[in-house]
Amino acid sequence: MKPFDIVIVGGGGAGLYAAMEAMKTNPALNIAVLSKVYPNRSHTSAAQGGANAALGNKAKDDTVEMHIFDTIKGSDYLADQDAVDVLCSEAPKIIRELENMGTPWSRMDDNTIAQRPFGGAGRPRCCYCSDKTGHTILQTLYEQCLKKGVIFFNEYFALNLSVGGSRSNGLIAMNMKTGKVEAFPAKTVIFATGGYAKMYWNRSSNAAGNTGDGQAIAYRAGIALKDMEFVQFHPTGLRKSGLLVTEGARGEGGYLLNKDGERFMARYAPEKMELGPRDLVSRSLETEILQGRGFDSPAGKYLHLDLTHLGADLIKSRLPQIREMSMNFEGVDPIEEPIPVRPTAHYSMGGIDTDNQTRTVMEGVYAAGECGCVSVHGANRLGGNSLLDILVFGRIAGRTAAEEAGKFTPGTISEAELAAQFEEIRGGMHPSGRYERYGELREALGQTLALNVGIFRESSLLQKGISEIAVLKERFKKVRISDSSDVFNTNLMQVLELKNMLDLAETVAAGAYARQESRGSHTRIDFPVRDDSNWHKHTLATLVKGNVTLGEKPVTMGRYELQERTY
Amino acid sequence: MTVSTDQHKEGKKDVTFRVFRFNPQVDSKPYFDDYTIPVERGVTVLRSLNYIKEHIDGSVSFRAFCQAGICGSCGMRVNGLSQLACTTQVWDVLAKSREPGIIKVEPLRNLPLIKDLIVDMDPLVDKMKHYANWVDSTMPEAQMGKKEFLISEEEFLRYDKATDCILCASCVSECSILRANKEYVSPAVLLKSYRMNVDSRDSMHEQRLAELVKDHGVWDCTHCYRCQESCVKSIPIMDAIHGIREDAIESRGKNDTSGSKHAEAFMTDIEKKGKLVEATLPIRTNGVVWTMQNLLPMAMKMIMKRRTPPPPPLVKSVKGIKIFRTMFREMTEHVKQDHKSHKK
Repeated sequence: MKPFDIVIVGGGGAGLYAAMEAMKTNPALNIAVLSKVYPNRSHTSAAQGGANAALGNKAKDDTVEMHIFDTIKGSDYLADQDAVDVLCSEAPKIIRELENMGTPWSRMDDNTIAQRPFGGAGRPRCCYCSDKTGHTILQTLYEQCLKKGVIFFNEYFALNLSVGGSRSNGLIAMNMKTGKVEAFPAKTVIFATGGYAKMYWNRSSNAAGNTGDGQAIAYRAGIALKDMEFVQFHPTGLRKSGLLVTEGARGEGGYLLNKDGERFMARYAPEKMELGPRDLVSRSLETEILQGRGFDSPAGKYLHLDLTHLGADLIKSRLPQIREMSMNFEGVDPIEEPIPVRPTAHYSMGGIDTDNQTRTVMEGVYAAGECGCVSVHGANRLGGNSLLDILVFGRIAGRTAAEEAGKFTPGTISEAELAAQFEEIRGGMHPSGRYERYGELREALGQTLALNVGIFRESSLLQKGISEIAVLKERFKKVRISDSSDVFNTNLMQVLELKNMLDLAETVAAGAYARQESRGSHTRIDFPVRDDSNWHKHTLATLVKGNVTLGEKPVTMGRYELQERTY
Repeated sequence: MTVSTDQHKEGKKDVTFRVFRFNPQVDSKPYFDDYTIPVERGVTVLRSLNYIKEHIDGSVSFRAFCQAGICGSCGMRVNGLSQLACTTQVWDVLAKSREPGIIKVEPLRNLPLIKDLIVDMDPLVDKMKHYANWVDSTMPEAQMGKKEFLISEEEFLRYDKATDCILCASCVSECSILRANKEYVSPAVLLKSYRMNVDSRDSMHEQRLAELVKDHGVWDCTHCYRCQESCVKSIPIMDAIHGIREDAIESRGKNDTSGSKHAEAFMTDIEKKGKLVEATLPIRTNGVVWTMQNLLPMAMKMIMKRRTPPPPPLVKSVKGIKIFRTMFREMTEHVKQDHKSHKK
């Protein structure tokens, strides 16, 4: 295959924005987007609430400066302040850009883009399209990519980077339709494969495919992962499935109630109440449950998210998807009764370590969106900053790769390397003797993570988690792929995704064990306070001779000094 | 083990999933495999398929991603009806099942089959490209990001529902025209085309419309409403199709295509007679020559074989035609007014 100037792995918001921007920067470039699903299926579509930007449409006195401060404070001061500056300064422009391209934003009475309050934000600055914001943004970007003639390789599963010396020769991927392992020699590669929170499986709001493929590939290629221990638990997952009820439901005025009918957030965040930042609200729910003020059910303990006082009209017009989901998956109509909720693993703050221009340590390899870690979210992401992140840094990745592609000569990927890859992934197809079942291993991984590397963490639990993950990795070597077909072997894909999750789970648990403090989403019962003198730094996880090796990286400070974080 | 929500222990049923199987590498034609599993209330078809794949037969192949009804991956036919497996409750399907305890699961129709429940979505993407299913902004690229277009709530509401479409292709699968003609634009693409055409930020309304009125386009729809009935997001797709047609007649005139002529002939008949004058309808739609060459021989054969009675040469107006005409004109006036206020 002819070498590409840019290969983008992932067709969600970050990947598509990167593709669009790269074509804009240099139309002569040969660019490909690989995605394991049709791009319009990507998990960006599930983002309900919105994207933050200090447009000042709703609160006239809102400023970029305030957005920056809220984000840094929200991150528990672990975000790099120069990166947050880029994120928030670019925000108004990129929201308007999307608007100009056709995104159907909800509108205010004066016909400008509507904005609503969101957790941890000092002003109502979350731009939205009812509760389908991510879906409409993804549609817009996909439409614009089709218009620009972006070349898509849909339903290709990325396997590994081909590495020669200090740089990459390109990507190796499996064509799902044929089962063939194909080479994508490229000058530059952008990873935009989304998050890894699905490793918590049933206790996760994520799509089945949010398995951290890009991070795992980069990790195996020797690229460092940053702050992997920070996994955000969203306060309001549906009790049974873990599926998400948007923060917008609380933004519109929903209450969180315990079994005594009490708005318990008054105890934890008396000012912000339900609109406290996600880490704090999740811990509050978990504490209520631990202290016996939750409801009991065979599907586990839970609390109530009450929207009934908002009225049928508002629920139907502003939160239609939430209503549909509550009815489909819990059998509850939020107009009539409260929704049963509990915290659910939702977002990975950690990811591939990059600089502000999305460059990784490997020349010609970039990462953006949830897949990367600049870091703009630090120890805890604010609601509405994730869509913003994928747009802003997706665009920067596209531009940077387009500008730098000329510096590199494309590598070559040998037939022998492809054959070896093929051998490796097919090895599990016909094992003899005792074998392991994919479903069992995946279930066990989710369990051990939820129990030992969950919201509240502690030394002995984490040690248990680490050793259990190691056992699962060993058992994985005997996993059996029970579909022997070349064509669309979804069973093989699941097994490869599990491999990625196992690799990454190790880095999450190792980081969580090492970090002896509580910061943002990472709460250690045995180290309950933030320890700035020892732990105000990023952790880096690198694969050295098959083992996780932890390092560190300083946090870039700026205008804002460390402060205690209260709401 | 059972597929369980842990929640409703009160009920459990043995359900047989009759799954469509086809692996192009080994099978010369498709067949069905039966998998019987105990299913509790509250479990979806997708969860059942996941269970079958994990515990009984790992080779059963289907797409699934978000599992929450928003990504559109798991469109398939469940007991003959195209829908999302992830939002379809097993017990709801059972309640309406013709064969007790059996749920038939098949791939979507009208798209090329790849394997088992997986069909090729590329033809749909190709059509989205062909009909320019994107906003071609009036704002030059270099100017973008500087200021917002001001959009009224009223305009927003015109495309709000249409932007719910998740391209699950249930409507494509149910479309009766596509079954006969794979080149037909398809309901989802008409819906998206409509959504773009009513967006004031878009600059290629005329070109898109010109493409839509050609063969295989908007006039080929026969109003069976299957698309709308099967839409998993309850989008009024037929409103979009009618919207494009009204727009076409308004922008391009009544004599633009055989489609618009046909619609106009319909209107005339209904207004004058209160029913159709079938004998002359083809002539008014496609002209005398076309009718003589293409329709007459078949019509004659059908009459000879008594498949159809000869159309009466003279059609009398229906009873109460005068009151009907008044109502009809009032309605037409309403629609015109509506259009005018939209144009503002």
